[in-house]
Amino acid sequence: MQFLDAAPRFLFFTGKGGVGKTSLACASAIRLAAAGRKVLLVSTDPASNVAQVFEQPIGNVVTPIAAVPNLSALEIDPEAAAQAYRDRIVGPVRGVLPEDVVRGIEEQLSGACTTEIAAFDEFTALLTDGELVRGFDHIVFDTAPTGHTIRLLQLPGAWSGFLDTNANGASCLGPLSGLEKQRVQYRAAVEALADAQRTRLVLVARAQASTLREVVRTHEELAAIGLVRQHLVVNGVMPEGEAGRDPLAAAIVRREAAALANLPEGLRGLPIDRVPLMPFNLVGLPALQALLDPAARGPAEAPAQTAQHPSLPDLAALVDDIAADGHGLVMLMGKGGVGKTTLAAAVAVELARRGLPVHLTTSDPAAHLAETLEGSLDGLTVSRIDPKAETERYRRHVLETKGRELDAQGRALLEEDLRSPCTEEIAVFQAFSRVIREAGRKFVVMDTAPTGHTLLLLDATGAYHREIARNMDKSGVAHYTTPMMQLQDPQRTKVLIVTLAETTPVLEAARLQDDLRRAGIEPWAWIVNNSLGAAAHASTLLARRAAHEWPQIQAVREHHARRLAVVALQAEEPVGVARLAALAAPNPPMPVVAPA
Amino acid sequence: MKAIQIFDPALCCPTGVCGTQVDQALVVAAADFDWARQQGAAIERYNLAQQPLAFAENAAVKGFLERSGQEALPLVLVDGEVALAGRYPTRSELARWAGLTAQQDASGCCSGGRCC
Repeated sequence: MQFLDAAPRFLFFTGKGGVGKTSLACASAIRLAAAGRKVLLVSTDPASNVAQVFEQPIGNVVTPIAAVPNLSALEIDPEAAAQAYRDRIVGPVRGVLPEDVVRGIEEQLSGACTTEIAAFDEFTALLTDGELVRGFDHIVFDTAPTGHTIRLLQLPGAWSGFLDTNANGASCLGPLSGLEKQRVQYRAAVEALADAQRTRLVLVARAQASTLREVVRTHEELAAIGLVRQHLVVNGVMPEGEAGRDPLAAAIVRREAAALANLPEGLRGLPIDRVPLMPFNLVGLPALQALLDPAARGPAEAPAQTAQHPSLPDLAALVDDIAADGHGLVMLMGKGGVGKTTLAAAVAVELARRGLPVHLTTSDPAAHLAETLEGSLDGLTVSRIDPKAETERYRRHVLETKGRELDAQGRALLEEDLRSPCTEEIAVFQAFSRVIREAGRKFVVMDTAPTGHTLLLLDATGAYHREIARNMDKSGVAHYTTPMMQLQDPQRTKVLIVTLAETTPVLEAARLQDDLRRAGIEPWAWIVNNSLGAAAHASTLLARRAAHEWPQIQAVREHHARRLAVVALQAEEPVGVARLAALAAPNPPMPVVAPA
Repeated sequence: MKAIQIFDPALCCPTGVCGTQVDQALVVAAADFDWARQQGAAIERYNLAQQPLAFAENAAVKGFLERSGQEALPLVLVDGEVALAGRYPTRSELARWAGLTAQQDASGCCSGGRCC
């Protein structure tokens, strides 16, 4: 494993959801600790799974892992950090300023930027060798700061405003200006990130053309801001040895080999490691040890028994129910990498095939609907909310309208503020609102961005909703519909949660469902994608994975989903109208491999 | 030189471009303050969302918030006395308060034809 050779002090794992970032970070930490190094594993995921992986509570203090000598862990919760920041700002004036004023301040501080910067604030002490990390040889992070955060810290106006009590009208640094850390420490943290001697960035991907394309973007974005020392790890690769025994395994081996052979130009110069697909779920210490250590894997045995289980509901039945309404907004949600783009396209194609008007769209910067569809269909229109293009349009619009009367210096100031990453959130949100209005007349099928991003989007929707509601109430308008009201109305909006039949993805999807419910949105159905359960497998690896799936599907059906569809893993990548339509065809009757 | 203090409503950023709607008056005001500072005026801005303590600790500002609410912001103090409320000052007002040489409004709010 090249990515662990001569490991530097800081190791960051990054990649979209579902690629195995946390598993690899944990497995790497275990391996380094086993070699006698003192290791601190840090999670910055608000929904961290590290505690679950090691089966012990961790939390936001450095905690020794009982089962692994030399290893400690720490869970940073950006949401909690943001809350602490809000309390610090608002606490001293609570009961001093009028109550509605205090509420207004809290609302202003509930945005995405506050959370991101609060997370970075927590990072900095770890990156600049504070008391907390003394004595550790390696600090392994299961996420990296985003390009967004680092750009925010590098904005030209940032430091002047920070030091001069925010007097100079610096760019959108709101949350930054109130945080306690010194400018010196932030700069030191950014420098540590860019120092190849101290920091290595591990890009985690799967052997799929679409995820590899996304990795190129992350690679370039982070390289552009100085994180040049990067490795690529391709996780979950189907071992070639499985191909001979099983047509599905053979097709996957072919498909993955093709994706890796056509590795995007930008990634070819990186050191690359491949980690094979495991026959088990990556939970618990033995599983994680086995991930990077073939000797710890044990013998490969086929599941002892096979049994029939009842036929599972299919996507065709879900589409029947969706079609019955004649129009509406259909949103597919879930972690990245679970197949939202494909399933959104399949639902849209099936609705269009039935003669219904459909608009298929995405707000996922990494999605490529045109590539997924590879063709057209009567009644189906396709569009894309491109964050870059939307941001540019918004910038131009503001400069042309609001900046029209300004002199050159004033325009320069406005332009600097418009370079703020916050602008992108608002521009994307405006495009999103435009599209969902169409759902009153036709179907709008939306392949949303990965979970975290989507929730930010919804958060923006909520803030917008409150603002509109305030203005409307003030002006006495009784009837109005905001995007948030539309999302919350089950008559207008159906949210489909997409997951895989594996332990962690199901847990994460359940958390997403909880988040949505807190926002007043009740998911309409769940789709379990890429299921192996619907076919018999000659490949031992696939048969073992299929056996592990069954309890997960049961959990979804019994505990989480009001409606369920199960979509089988396809031998060929489901690209093109014909293969997409096949996804929404009725499931074949089972023979199913499952434990008795 | 007189000290000019601007008490802003809760803002994400000083030009308001991050909000759901960009407020023209805020964009113009940010440019005007920048201009006046370049001329040597002493101007400080306080954002309710970031420095609420500055509002709470100033008796004039706290009393104003209690009487008129946050909707009545911004509030402008010159040497601690209320000079203006409910809108941002124009360039000529800033120049007058700061004792700068009077100058033609290059981007004053009247040229936009909306707020006056």
